[in-house]
Amino acid sequence: MDLAWSATDLAFRDEVRTFLQDKLTPELRQAGRLMTSVYADHETSVEWQRILHERGWAAPAWPVEYGGCDWSLTQHYIFSRESQLFGAPSLSPMGIRMVAHAIIKYGTDAQKEYFLPRILTGEVFFCQGYSEPEAGSDLAALSMAAVDDGDDLVCTGSKIWTTHAGEANWMFALVRTSKSQKKQQGITFVLIDMTSRGIQIRPLVMTSGEEIQNQVFFDEVRVPKSNVLGQIDDGWTVAKYLLEFERGGGAASPALQVMAEEIATVAADQPAPGGGRLIDDPAFARKLADCRIRTEVLEILEYRVLAALAGGGHPGAASSMLKVVATELSQALTELAMEAAGPRGRVYQPHATWPGGPVSEFEPPSDGYVSGDTCQAVAPLRYFNDRAGSIYAGSNEIQRNILAKAALGL
Amino acid sequence: MDFNLSKEQELLRDGLGRFLSTRYDLEKSRAAAKTGAGWQPDIWRGFADDLGILGAALPEDVGGIGGGPVEVMVIAEALGHALVVEPYVDTVVVAGGLLRRAGGSAANALLEKVVSGSAIVALAAAEPGSGESWHDVSTVADRDGDEWVLRGSKIVVMSAPLATHLLITARTSVGLSLFLVETDSAATGIEDHRYRTVDDRRAADLVFDGLRLPADALLGEDGKAWPSLAKARDEGAAAICAEAVGCMRKVLADTVEYCKQRQQFGQPIGSFQVLQHRMVDMYMEVEQGVAAVYLAVLNLEAKPDARARAVSAAKATVGRAARFVGQQAVQLHGGMGMTEELAIGHYFKRLTALQYEFGSTDYHVSRYAELTRP
Repeated sequence: MDLAWSATDLAFRDEVRTFLQDKLTPELRQAGRLMTSVYADHETSVEWQRILHERGWAAPAWPVEYGGCDWSLTQHYIFSRESQLFGAPSLSPMGIRMVAHAIIKYGTDAQKEYFLPRILTGEVFFCQGYSEPEAGSDLAALSMAAVDDGDDLVCTGSKIWTTHAGEANWMFALVRTSKSQKKQQGITFVLIDMTSRGIQIRPLVMTSGEEIQNQVFFDEVRVPKSNVLGQIDDGWTVAKYLLEFERGGGAASPALQVMAEEIATVAADQPAPGGGRLIDDPAFARKLADCRIRTEVLEILEYRVLAALAGGGHPGAASSMLKVVATELSQALTELAMEAAGPRGRVYQPHATWPGGPVSEFEPPSDGYVSGDTCQAVAPLRYFNDRAGSIYAGSNEIQRNILAKAALGL
Repeated sequence: MDFNLSKEQELLRDGLGRFLSTRYDLEKSRAAAKTGAGWQPDIWRGFADDLGILGAALPEDVGGIGGGPVEVMVIAEALGHALVVEPYVDTVVVAGGLLRRAGGSAANALLEKVVSGSAIVALAAAEPGSGESWHDVSTVADRDGDEWVLRGSKIVVMSAPLATHLLITARTSVGLSLFLVETDSAATGIEDHRYRTVDDRRAADLVFDGLRLPADALLGEDGKAWPSLAKARDEGAAAICAEAVGCMRKVLADTVEYCKQRQQFGQPIGSFQVLQHRMVDMYMEVEQGVAAVYLAVLNLEAKPDARARAVSAAKATVGRAARFVGQQAVQLHGGMGMTEELAIGHYFKRLTALQYEFGSTDYHVSRYAELTRP
């Protein structure tokens, strides 16, 4: 039992560090550091994907034959960890980390040939069409109709919480092809060309002012049956498989560690309510220490899951636990960042940040003035956007339901 | 990066688990703790002779097996799971570590006795004016010819009533030092008030009013005891974190089982979502506790600051977990959880007491904050 990386792993870590030092331009790094949510600005993220792709590292988790890397799980973890520590912008998870795995497992040869190389280059950019206004946690209650019409399915209905719907040229979606006793049956997994006729996008303005989420309306949109993934009426199987990738195996702790360090840096410059530096204020110092401790412990939890996976195990319940622990911790850190920001944490100044989407109804000052520094400008936007952590990818209440069954047999 | 136990460590865990499940009866051990001698000497004999666990983490030159922190973790977790009151952590981990680092013939001779199960060693460090801070010591040791004369008082000296030997911290003209005393020979100079702790262990307050010790009672270098004491406290904290994990696993399993059996409103109470989520929160606290123990144990041989930081992170995490898991286990058991009729009440008491041993949760959060302050 030990915490040390092997010599091979350390050599790999150095290789990743050298790459990041060389390729992560100051602008890209700035964009990564000033992200206001888990989503980087679209242009930046596409640019970073292009650079990664040049090196063959855009989709390391894919099978090698499709352009993935022949890495051990530890190497995947190291790559993810170093990228976060260096402040690299995140890539959109929808294509590379999600639907691609379903295409690899369930796709026809033609689907694989068309989509996989284009996802890698960024030519095909996916958004996700799962949730509907009346189907959130109860996803299988979805009702967007897909009517059989010769070679096509004709889709009518609406999807919501579609991140980057405006930027995406493809959507993977779950639609209802038939109704049966069991609501999980009769669902079909389709790939929809976002340039099809009959699609309308309505951006949702989030509390941060960003337009990153959308509601998408479908009015008799024709989807060729050749774009069905898996079998008609059996899309739930594909969706369940994909969910494992949505929740599983990532490394959240490095980004949280970076957040905690930034908070400490800001707090060292801020006055405490009773005089002196905020970082020396016992109440603040305790809360920060508590968050850092939880981050260190989360890192070990992540290592343990990684070690279990490397030994051929299945993440199972552990991925639900990691999701809950990491998102609750992240939310606690965003609260602390607000405190560290002081009075300037109440100033709305998205022009000093790199939001993941357009900001509506906001005129940046003509002279570019920023009150305080960028960390203070980022804090409230992250605080608002990070409420999503305990809601997305299966709310934390749903994760607790899963854990009650899977881990405790209740 | 490796979280697997070695073959030998697995054998150790399994052997000890089997021994405890067949020979360590909760009621019998409580009876011994409350009305008897305070412990079961035959169990200790079994630890030494049948299992060899007393030497598992001690060096081979004193008869041990030469293991380290991982062996201690494996043993302490198993002892916690069975709620063992016998003084493994006090004698083998804390005193054993101090003796090992002090070296010399007296220390080594005593370590051999620890390994063979014939000596119980207790550390007298906490004081009325300093609590668990072992650094602020007001007990003094003055040199008088060939002898040391100790004056001062110690509180809540764990296992003192069972001990054959005491390690006493005292300040000499040079600094913080450590003295070794055989309890029989010193009986005259020690005023001793024995009692039971809330978690059914034996301890005592000790007053030294001119306790005279021979020159060679000084263990290690005069005035240089602090680094070793600081390490002993971290080792003790890491060990009881592992013990707490053993306790919490048992308490969680019992609670889940109870909620599956207990019927109210015509159904098992474990079918209620509010209780399911509570138990999931307990589970996540336990799992974070497990990870925290790894963090501490695998950093015990690191540099002092790194070691202290990891141990404080672990003790704070486990302290928080022990409070939550213990309290919720009682809550979910209802009134029966507050009685001594079920195991849960006994485990709850231990999970409460250990939050304050080797530095409280608050102390460790503060120490962590200090060590990470920019």
